[in-house]
Amino acid sequence: MAMHVFSYRLKCLLRDKESVFWTLAFPVLLATMFHFAFGHLMTGEPAFEPIPVAVADGAAYQSNFALRQMLEAVSADGENQLLRLTVVDREQAERMLAAGEVVGVILPGEGSDTGDATSVSLMVTQSGIRQSILKALLDEYLHSYATVSSIAAANPVALFGLIGELGARESYTQQVSFSDVLPDSSIGYFYALLAMTCLYGGFWGMRNTNDLQADQSPQGARRSLAPTHKMAVVLCDWAAALVVSFGEVLAVLAYLAFALKVQFGSQVGYVLLTCAAGCLAGVSVGTLIGTMVRKSEGLKVGILVGVNNLMCFFAGLMFVKMKDIIARNAPVLSYINPAALISDAFYSLYVFDNHRRFFTNIAILCVLSAAMCLVSFMQLRGERYASL
Amino acid sequence: MLISVRDLVKRYGNLVALDHFSLDVREGEILGLLGPNGSGKTTAINCILSLLRYDKGTVEIFGRPMAPDAYESKRDIGVVPQNVAVFNELTVEENIDYFCGMYVEDRAVRRGLVQEAVEFVGLADFRRFYPRKLSGGMLRRLNIACGIAHKPKLIIMDEPTVGVDPQSRNSVLEGIRKLNEHGATVVYTSHYMEEVEQLCTRIVIMDKGRTLATGTKDELKAMINRGETITVEIYALQDEDVERIRQLPNVASVEYDDNRLTVRYANGQHNLLTLLDFLKSRDLSFEKVYSERPTLNDVFLEITGRQLRD
Repeated sequence: MAMHVFSYRLKCLLRDKESVFWTLAFPVLLATMFHFAFGHLMTGEPAFEPIPVAVADGAAYQSNFALRQMLEAVSADGENQLLRLTVVDREQAERMLAAGEVVGVILPGEGSDTGDATSVSLMVTQSGIRQSILKALLDEYLHSYATVSSIAAANPVALFGLIGELGARESYTQQVSFSDVLPDSSIGYFYALLAMTCLYGGFWGMRNTNDLQADQSPQGARRSLAPTHKMAVVLCDWAAALVVSFGEVLAVLAYLAFALKVQFGSQVGYVLLTCAAGCLAGVSVGTLIGTMVRKSEGLKVGILVGVNNLMCFFAGLMFVKMKDIIARNAPVLSYINPAALISDAFYSLYVFDNHRRFFTNIAILCVLSAAMCLVSFMQLRGERYASL
Repeated sequence: MLISVRDLVKRYGNLVALDHFSLDVREGEILGLLGPNGSGKTTAINCILSLLRYDKGTVEIFGRPMAPDAYESKRDIGVVPQNVAVFNELTVEENIDYFCGMYVEDRAVRRGLVQEAVEFVGLADFRRFYPRKLSGGMLRRLNIACGIAHKPKLIIMDEPTVGVDPQSRNSVLEGIRKLNEHGATVVYTSHYMEEVEQLCTRIVIMDKGRTLATGTKDELKAMINRGETITVEIYALQDEDVERIRQLPNVASVEYDDNRLTVRYANGQHNLLTLLDFLKSRDLSFEKVYSERPTLNDVFLEITGRQLRD
């Protein structure tokens, strides 16, 4: 009997196209959008194009060996090419600037009131990040040139020791990683997406409660009249909802891993465990709302969506700092918010090699889910209704 | 008694939906629960089936108190609710199999029962159809199949023909008669008096949550002081003739309006013959003549002063 009820429940849920869209197709669409929106973050390869720049050719440029060498080095073909250099006379360079063919014009021998031949200035027609890069490059060149010139004049012997260190940059902070996984700044978005998909399991829980209660649907009334023990039907429905929800999360996970090539590292087993606990919580939230709110299906769906969004908001899935604000000002909320627990479980997997915090989150999720199910199942037991 | 209801009281706030309602259903009968919309028929059925909480009274089915967990009793009850209660995601055959499976575990037995039910309601050609693709009449028939596939001893049907086309309605009524012939006891609620008259062996007329009258249709009609009504289309009838018709035997009242003569009789026999003889003797020509026996509506009208369809 249980298998009969369970298998038909699976059929009903899987053929509910509207709910399948929101709980499966919608997260997949969102994941695809994330993939394109955060593609550069994921690959770690910012699409940098060499900056087109012109140099005014002339005696000053030809005589400035250091400047020529520096510009040729940064415009050499390869991975580190910074500039796409064009050496033309000044008039031609200005025409190119006016036509927008180059971002700026480097003017050797200009920019000094004293007529210093080694001076250099930059001509641009607008401000922007590429113009700022050009200016920073020339400032750096001038600074280094001045340093080398001063040392050469004051202590030529010391020049040989210092020249190699000029280009070196010293870092006074040290990056320490809690895990051996290379950090990927985009993975947090995908964990958030998985958490949301888990919570969308609430739609299945709610659908179940509608089909179980005589005062919510004719199907509920008919099933309440059957000689099958009500709790058996409740549990079979609940199990079917959990299976469908978990199956959908697995499908989304597979799409992320295989189609979008999102790297989940070596923690896949724990990611699956988090998804299972998340689905349990999602279905339980939907079951609880569907049981306690004795109103129309539309209103209940609205309440479920609102509650899910609120939980996600408090968990920082929409505004990252909110998680810290809640943790500082209302820490209890973090412990009873399934969305916060799911996202924190993913976060702890991402950040820590130690799984203590992860298992704490999973345990609290399971306890919360059990409590919600207990309240719902008590309500769903075979009772008479006040009105139909 | 298959069903025994005593002094059932159900209130919705200040509204009394069932007012000391009592009912007995005997084995093998088709009991009609007749009353206008809002008379408490569905509330009574839902209380009997333990879906609704009630304030007072007792309900016994198969001699056992009825309760939400009375699974032994529920096993032998089939219910056809007023609203179509099927799953849109399951086909005709799957819906019947699903609900039948909640009563019958053996898959092989169930397969036979589902087959029978599909054929019984005439949906054999539509077994793979989803409910959305069915017409209103077909949906109603599917609703019936889901309620009776497990061959229950007691079938409770709550307005099963609402919104059904006349052809489907006749098929449904014929089906109910067959179920009864095969041994099922049927409780049939409706506000269509013609259906109840045509189908039921015993009728309970109810209004405002109370039982007004119980009996066979003949017993109910005998309760009122009214026989047949004869209507004649006749032109230029004089007042003098109307007065003479009023003096004929068994005549209770006479009306003549818009070339239509309506004669109501208290009771008695050969009233039509007597009236036609009178018209012939007066050399009065007429066109159409109708004779109507009293209906359950007349019974309801007599008891409540209101039409059944109000």
